[in-house]
Amino acid sequence: MAESNTGSKSAAANGVGMEVRFTRVFDAPRQLVFKAWTNPKHVAQWWGPTGFTNPRCELDVRPGGAIRIDMRGPDGTIYPMSGVYQEIVEPERIVFTSIALDDEGNPLFENLNTVTFAEHGGKTTITLHTRVIKSTDKALQYLRGMELGWSLTLDRFEAHIMSASKGEKS
Amino acid sequence: MQSAPVVFNLVVKYKMTSDHLSTTFAALADPTRRAILARLVSGGASVTELAEPFDMSLPAISKHLKVLERAGLIARGREAQWRPCRLEAGPLKDVADWTEGYRRFWEESFDRLGDYLRELKNKEKKHGRKQHGQ
Repeated sequence: MAESNTGSKSAAANGVGMEVRFTRVFDAPRQLVFKAWTNPKHVAQWWGPTGFTNPRCELDVRPGGAIRIDMRGPDGTIYPMSGVYQEIVEPERIVFTSIALDDEGNPLFENLNTVTFAEHGGKTTITLHTRVIKSTDKALQYLRGMELGWSLTLDRFEAHIMSASKGEKS
Repeated sequence: MQSAPVVFNLVVKYKMTSDHLSTTFAALADPTRRAILARLVSGGASVTELAEPFDMSLPAISKHLKVLERAGLIARGREAQWRPCRLEAGPLKDVADWTEGYRRFWEESFDRLGDYLRELKNKEKKHGRKQHGQ
């Protein structure tokens, strides 16, 4: 599976404008991959990190439609997330906002996510582009950390940091 | 550390370590200080060595080093004349952990999506064969 991640450090002080991009190739036809992104029953099966489940996964897949996902961590903690679909172009593109909420349900910041699906020889490449479009004062430091993290990565800290976190994991 | 690899989880972590992190961020907010840290990745160095690439006085560089030291990002030797600086990975790792959560969210979701698509494909194949046989 090919994969590449890049970070951008062209962001305002509050993190607005910060962007990241993820690319991954899936060994499945585009129609199926698109379905896996737009059917809530399917999305609930894969959304979130390893060990997480999605007891609530409501997707109103149309422009202006709401997204509401409650992720449940391995320790039982619920992580709520909401959003709104901006654009649905089957089977090529999905644009949606996602709002991370703090533990009291207040929005921390809002991202605009653009997911594109490209088919080639029965495989599908997904490119996910995420840009921070809104942030609150509370999220400021949080976002500043993200921005700095990425620019540090660009400043060749990656190897250093990676070896440090690997050492601690094992 | 089996940290819960998810961006939303980092909110909790943020609350726990906000003071500590904000000191780190403030120290990292300056390009000269980031350049000094980048230089220290390849090994310890004296103040004079660190000052070399910059058009700055030694006292100005020393000031930056003090900020980095206070944030725990560097440590300095005790020798009076030559106080070599070296990188302290701890606070940087906190920042990295924080940003890594974001990346891991999507990487692990994509891993799971890949597995799930394999399942879906197999189901469709079985289904297709059944229909074909009928």
